[in-house]
Amino acid sequence: MRECVLEGQINGYEQNAGSCQNQKIHRHRHRIGHHHDNGGSSIDFYAVNSGIRHVDPVLKVVFSLLLLLFCLAADQPVISVIAIVTAASITVLAGKLPVDRYLSVLTIPLAFILMGSIAVAIDFSGNPVGDWNLFLHWGYLYVTKESLVHMVSLVLKAFGAVSAMFIMTLSTPSFELFSVLRKMHCPALLVELMHMIYRFIFILTTVQRNMRISAESRLGFCDFRTSCYSFGQIASNLFIVSLKKANAYYDAMEARCYDGEFLFLEEETKVPGELILGAVVYFAALTLIWWMLR
Amino acid sequence: MTKNETKVFKVLCFLCMLFAVSPAVSAMHIMEGYLPPTFCVAWGVICLPFLFLGFTRLNRQVKENRKSMTMIAMAGAFIFVISSLKIPSVTGSCSHMTGTGLGAILFGPAAVSVMGLIVLLFQAILLAHGGLSTLGANCFSMAIAGPIISWLIYKGLGKAGVNRKVTVFLAAAVGDLFTYCVTSIQLAMAYPSAEGGFQASLVKFLGVFATTQVPLAIIEGILTVIVVIALESFAQSELKAIHFNA
Repeated sequence: MRECVLEGQINGYEQNAGSCQNQKIHRHRHRIGHHHDNGGSSIDFYAVNSGIRHVDPVLKVVFSLLLLLFCLAADQPVISVIAIVTAASITVLAGKLPVDRYLSVLTIPLAFILMGSIAVAIDFSGNPVGDWNLFLHWGYLYVTKESLVHMVSLVLKAFGAVSAMFIMTLSTPSFELFSVLRKMHCPALLVELMHMIYRFIFILTTVQRNMRISAESRLGFCDFRTSCYSFGQIASNLFIVSLKKANAYYDAMEARCYDGEFLFLEEETKVPGELILGAVVYFAALTLIWWMLR
Repeated sequence: MTKNETKVFKVLCFLCMLFAVSPAVSAMHIMEGYLPPTFCVAWGVICLPFLFLGFTRLNRQVKENRKSMTMIAMAGAFIFVISSLKIPSVTGSCSHMTGTGLGAILFGPAAVSVMGLIVLLFQAILLAHGGLSTLGANCFSMAIAGPIISWLIYKGLGKAGVNRKVTVFLAAAVGDLFTYCVTSIQLAMAYPSAEGGFQASLVKFLGVFATTQVPLAIIEGILTVIVVIALESFAQSELKAIHFNA
């Protein structure tokens, strides 16, 4: 049972990655908008093909989460910049991800971060206060030097945290992430649900895309009213299809002797001592810098 | 600048601010790195009892009937896909359903809390929406607070005998709005205004939400009604399989 399910899974992942490769032929330059159409499979594709894919996943996850934590806890622009540079060099140099791909992955969160920070910098008051203010009918929008500094450090901190997280996501395919969760004694039910939901997301996205294309080719989105109707029809049809597929999958699993437990083959990787040593030295240096800045 | 030009400039600045802020929350997630560590931990801890409840319930369901495993997983994937669909909107901007109102109506708030957690995790690592450190806060607003309100409204008004379409509409729209309110409270607590403190900051975040998100909440309500009606007319047997009682 193990091998069958495993092979199906791995093939599934390769397929996801493969379909994404086809998409890459016509790449969009404007990546600032939402790119939900491919259900995030491009990140999965990069992860499977990463140069540090075969490094022990636990090490990668622990390293990137620690860096993320440092970034948040230190709340120092210097530490944030170090984290950004570290993450970029690990992903691009060691992971061999082309720079333009890395930048295009980063533009989505970067756009969110920049825009979200504006709300933090701008304040609203009844009196003309602050270093710069703008009178609007009900009161003043104002900005102070401190709030601007605060905003810049917030942008750096958030960007550092996102970069740190991307070390993990751009080098570790999701099934390895789940295996790390299992090693952390995350409840089996949750890990199995994650495995299945992950696979099902790609299936449903494909189904939804096909339904959307066929609705669109029949002028299903010609105006607002029709769009709402088509959207509702697609969503409800998707629900019916998903339940039908759920039954079919259960039968398929049962046919392969599913007895209430998912087992996956995991790659046995040895962690080289110098990598661990490097990570320890790196964080020691980071702690030292943090301590000196305080 | 003449007086009129100044006026136009101010209006443009104001609009610019609204549109600048709304994308940051149109996905309704607090970005990675936005909350100080203490808040991250606190919101995570607040989520735990709800998640535990949802988890034990799911566990029991799976033990009773193993077939429900694939069903639950499909439901989770359905919520993910629904919440990543662009909804038709008048302005042509990119906006998304939360899908949690629909999820709460169909599967109940306990199950949605666990599925929501997994969906949020995937959104964080696959789409860079939300983040790992803000998972607790996002989970509370999207997977716990919103669905519970939706479900309460749905059950309450259903018992009171209010028109079914109105019930579903209100459940989805109010649940959506409530999610925004919780998010603004979370942001205001983390970023109190320099002058007015928590309250002024809350007013600021709520003001931004109210102008940009009320129309979206209404659209989400309408869409949910369309979906529920379509399901009731075409998918009676499937609805029975998930113990959905109209």
